Amino acid sequence: MYLIKAVVRPEKRDEVLYELTSAGFNAATVVDVVGRGKQKGIKIGNIVYDEIPKVMIIMAVKDVDKDDIVSVIMRSAKTSEKGAFGDGKIFVSPLEEAYTVSTGAKEL
Amino acid sequence: MKEIIAVVRMNRTNATKKALIDSGAAGFTALKVLGRGKLVEDKSVIADRKANMMEMAIGEDAKEAEALIDGFLDGQRLFPRRMFHIIAKDNQVDPIVQAIIGANRTENKVGDGKIFILPIVDVVRVRTAERGETAL
Repeated sequence: MYLIKAVVRPEKRDEVLYELTSAGFNAATVVDVVGRGKQKGIKIGNIVYDEIPKVMIIMAVKDVDKDDIVSVIMRSAKTSEKGAFGDGKIFVSPLEEAYTVSTGAKEL
Repeated sequence: MKEIIAVVRMNRTNATKKALIDSGAAGFTALKVLGRGKLVEDKSVIADRKANMMEMAIGEDAKEAEALIDGFLDGQRLFPRRMFHIIAKDNQVDPIVQAIIGANRTENKVGDGKIFILPIVDVVRVRTAERGETAL
């Protein structure tokens, strides 16, 4: 299993979640975060904005679904065909175990 | 070492905190998050709660109320939840998981939360620069 953490633009949140549901992956956790990337934030005049609001979507996924989910997020979070600075990042880390509280079962 | 990420109901936050102390993991980080789970495919799981909510909507337009309640219960909406991050030694993981499950099970058949367990490579205590398990 993998834990996918995707950082996307706040205005893309609903679109990404809708596309994930359509592709059959409904479960997700959403957190409002602030951050900056390789461009060191945005500089407008003399002011540097380096705490840019983003949304982090956290998903626990099966091994076979990982690539599908990454490509769905990649496609729906882009602002244009080429993409632009600030569209976000997707991180994938290993997940060893998952439990469902309502049943106590050791499964997703 | 392992990182335990638990997503639980907001109103179970205090019960979870108490369970964590009892199971030997006093330190944690908690966030307010929004989340949703699997789509509810088996409608019998939510039939009871749907009936309850329909009773509350007596006097309203029945069709409109039903559409609203269906949208509320079928699992596509985001609901507020509390996310706990706990770093623990390998042999502490099972008791902590069982404690979180014990504190969070309810009679509702869906929505009690999930627990994820990830490997942690290293830990550093900022105050003394200790590394590894002694820094926990």
